Amino acid sequence: MSYYFTILSPTDAPLFNIAFGTSKSGGDGIARFRFPDTAQYMNQFIIHSSLDIVEEAQWMNGNMYLKHIDTYPPAAAFISAFLAPSGARFLLLHQPPQLPTAGSAAAASTGAPGAAAPGTGSVSSSSGASSLLGSSFAATASSSRTSSSSIAANPTSPQTEEAVRQFMSEVYENYVKTVMSPFYRQGMEIRSPVFRGRVNAAGKKWL
Amino acid sequence: MTSPGDAAPVKPPPSFSPGVARASSTSRYSTHASQRRDSVQSLDSNHVDQSVGPSPPPLSATTELPIRSASPYARSLRSSTPQLNRSSLGSPDGGRFEGAEDVRSLITRSFSPVVGVYASVDTDDLVHEKGFPGGFWGLIRPFGENVPGKIVIRDSVGSSRGWEDYGVRFVDLGGQARYPPDATPGQPPPLTQIDEALTKDLEAAENPLARTLRPKDLAGASTISPLYNDFLHQLLSIPSATPHETFRHPVASVIAISSRNTSPLETLRQLYADTTNGDRRLPEWIHPEYLRYYVLVHDEDRDDIAESTKLYDQMKRHFGLHCHLLRLRSNQCVVTDDDSVEVPECEWVSPAERLSGSAEPLVDLDMDGHLYLFESDVMAIKAFVRELVAQSVIPFMENRVAVWNDQVASRRRGISGRFMSMSRRWAGFGSSSRSSLTGSAGGVSGNYDGARGFYRPDAPEAVLRKMADFAFMLRDWKLAASTYELIRSDYANDKAWKYHAGVHEMCAISLLLNPVSMPAKTKLGDIDQMLDTACYSYHTRCSDVPNALRCLTLAVELLKSRGGLATESAARWAMRAMDLGLVGSIGQVLLSERISACYASRPPLPGVRWGARYRKAGMWSVLAADLWLQLGQPSLASACLEEAEHLYASVLDRNEGIFPMPEMQVFVDNLRHTIQVEFLEARGLNTQESLDAVPPMDTQETSEKLDKRQHRRSLVVNPLESGIQDLADNEDRPDDDFERA
Repeated sequence: MSYYFTILSPTDAPLFNIAFGTSKSGGDGIARFRFPDTAQYMNQFIIHSSLDIVEEAQWMNGNMYLKHIDTYPPAAAFISAFLAPSGARFLLLHQPPQLPTAGSAAAASTGAPGAAAPGTGSVSSSSGASSLLGSSFAATASSSRTSSSSIAANPTSPQTEEAVRQFMSEVYENYVKTVMSPFYRQGMEIRSPVFRGRVNAAGKKWL
Repeated sequence: MTSPGDAAPVKPPPSFSPGVARASSTSRYSTHASQRRDSVQSLDSNHVDQSVGPSPPPLSATTELPIRSASPYARSLRSSTPQLNRSSLGSPDGGRFEGAEDVRSLITRSFSPVVGVYASVDTDDLVHEKGFPGGFWGLIRPFGENVPGKIVIRDSVGSSRGWEDYGVRFVDLGGQARYPPDATPGQPPPLTQIDEALTKDLEAAENPLARTLRPKDLAGASTISPLYNDFLHQLLSIPSATPHETFRHPVASVIAISSRNTSPLETLRQLYADTTNGDRRLPEWIHPEYLRYYVLVHDEDRDDIAESTKLYDQMKRHFGLHCHLLRLRSNQCVVTDDDSVEVPECEWVSPAERLSGSAEPLVDLDMDGHLYLFESDVMAIKAFVRELVAQSVIPFMENRVAVWNDQVASRRRGISGRFMSMSRRWAGFGSSSRSSLTGSAGGVSGNYDGARGFYRPDAPEAVLRKMADFAFMLRDWKLAASTYELIRSDYANDKAWKYHAGVHEMCAISLLLNPVSMPAKTKLGDIDQMLDTACYSYHTRCSDVPNALRCLTLAVELLKSRGGLATESAARWAMRAMDLGLVGSIGQVLLSERISACYASRPPLPGVRWGARYRKAGMWSVLAADLWLQLGQPSLASACLEEAEHLYASVLDRNEGIFPMPEMQVFVDNLRHTIQVEFLEARGLNTQESLDAVPPMDTQETSEKLDKRQHRRSLVVNPLESGIQDLADNEDRPDDDFERA
């Protein structure tokens, strides 16, 4: 699972961006999106296009956490949103890795000859493939049928929603602390390394 | 020096110049070309008029009528002036009804009854003398696609409706090719052919002389681009007579002899025998009982009308009322004749025919490939087709639907508990009725021949499907939908997956076509479910890619024409089609454009500024531009980019047209630059020598424009559009909703 988290000002200007991968179940915390490296702008396009839905959802729903609001099927990108009272919007794009049968993951696992044997337990993590299935899950779910408790596997499951909610509220707490800083003016890009570190930690903790 | 007509003027791609300049520069082609194009355009406008004028059933006649009468004018205005088109983007419900009617008309016309044509050798000879290589079939084929005048059809409840745009498709039963045309191993699959034909179209569009596609027409979210229109046409004209649906099975067949025949009645009998049990017999999954229509072609130039009339009376005595005397002249007609009329072009041409045939009119420009007929002949053929359709085919189909509805469908409905008092109809149906009993009880009916993959044509499942298809072709969508609904589960029980897919597809489509029931949200869910099943059965179970693509494309178009919530659903299905990899590279781009159009046609919620999907629409337009560029079509790409800029205009106005996200801005800037470079390169390569000859004034002008562009990173300078922007700005001032929230 790869994540792209962004905070947008009420005028859609990005205040903060971070891309990270899952740290659960043996992930190494590095984002691997499905787009080629030359097409990373796609993340921003997808986030930007989902603002249409955010705008609609924010008036339909009294909560700050809007849950999973939008999907971009061609890249299997899922968007979850969280609204701050100031009008800032937290958008999280999460993208499950490609199934090991297709694309880059397959190439990676066949590329590492030792790890190609099934049942070695740590296929994905040892080969460094972008698979979410770490050592603990690979044994039970080697046939790409992951257990429902793995948040990476089905991005629309209640578990995932819950994890994203936890992540969002933790980030929100830190965001409030950061923007209360006397050196921060509204609408400024957030450059605080502390904040970045905290978001990273929250990502590690929940996602 | 070169005249301005010889060289295509060096001009920036449309995206960089205001629309007015573009329009004027198109008139600079040589007179020859412009003449040619004019004729093409007039043909096109004819098509459009025909396809727009007749509209599907009005909800209430009073509200629909003014729209219908006004639409041809509105349309022609739109196509001639791109600015008008654009202004409709700003209006809240612009694009919802535009183009919706003609897509529906296109789809309903594509499911028109098929009439086989089987002519004797002497008839074909006569027609060959007139200069028609296709024989009798080739002569009457273009006239069947649009029956002149109104065709009145009675539906199952007995109410009549007139249709202006009814048509039939003539297929050749007697020619070299067997009907139904099998996929010969040497031929590529139809989808590849569609792709090739589209590539050819694109190449033709490159060539400025034979330009029928104008990039400016490609812009505009609400209208269908000609290329996409082409794609739809070809997708719907794949000649796929398959067991699982009966749209391509002949409803009737025309048996023709000419007055030159020495033994006319025997020949007719022979022709009849050929189609019933001779070597021209249809495959056994086609219901053998279809209407036979006998035509006597009288040669006006050589033969005696008295003789022919006598023969015709004799024919009527022998074969009943389904006869016609068609009086044609056997001399060839040329353009210079006084009363020559150009033969219309066929609208529904299969991709294979397109590939083989479309080259010639482009090659010889002097002697155009059009055929001409005497006016009297045209009148005679039109009258013949009208009589055939209005007095024989339609009544026959109405009759069959009524009979089957009575004998098969109502019995089935009765078992499900509606009315059980049909006992007197039970006699005489023997085994089939029993099997239908078990079938509806949930077991396997045993009528399905699993090894060969079809139902016998007289099995109740097949009859019901045929009845539903007839009802569909008669545009009685309500009856069709309910009948499809009735047999849906049977096919699943029998594991007849292709039938299963087809019936789900048609059920969804007839529900969508049915104008009365505007589906509520729940109903949309049902339709989505059916489409999903159909798509899964077609694609995964049967790996029938053309049908899966047809199913999804029809769903996209019809859902889009519904407007509102359904447009989102439409976009989703289009993405599904792209995801499944059903289309080639050009198809991918066309679908991207279509997705953009779907999102763009969703209006903002009334009274507020949110609820629209301009960002999504804009994103898909940018992606389409990128894809066009990869295909080496900078002019089309620039049209898409221009479109994207218009779509983004309403969301980016508060940032002076600059994307808030840096990477997006960089990407769009790069894209714009590449398009510009490639466009000029393509121009430069094509007209290398003329470039040198262009007076320096011109070059200066161009470069000035380009410079201006680079400094302005924002939108095209266009008075109209900046007007929109201002408007939007004014609206947008008090948009501090967020701070209030």
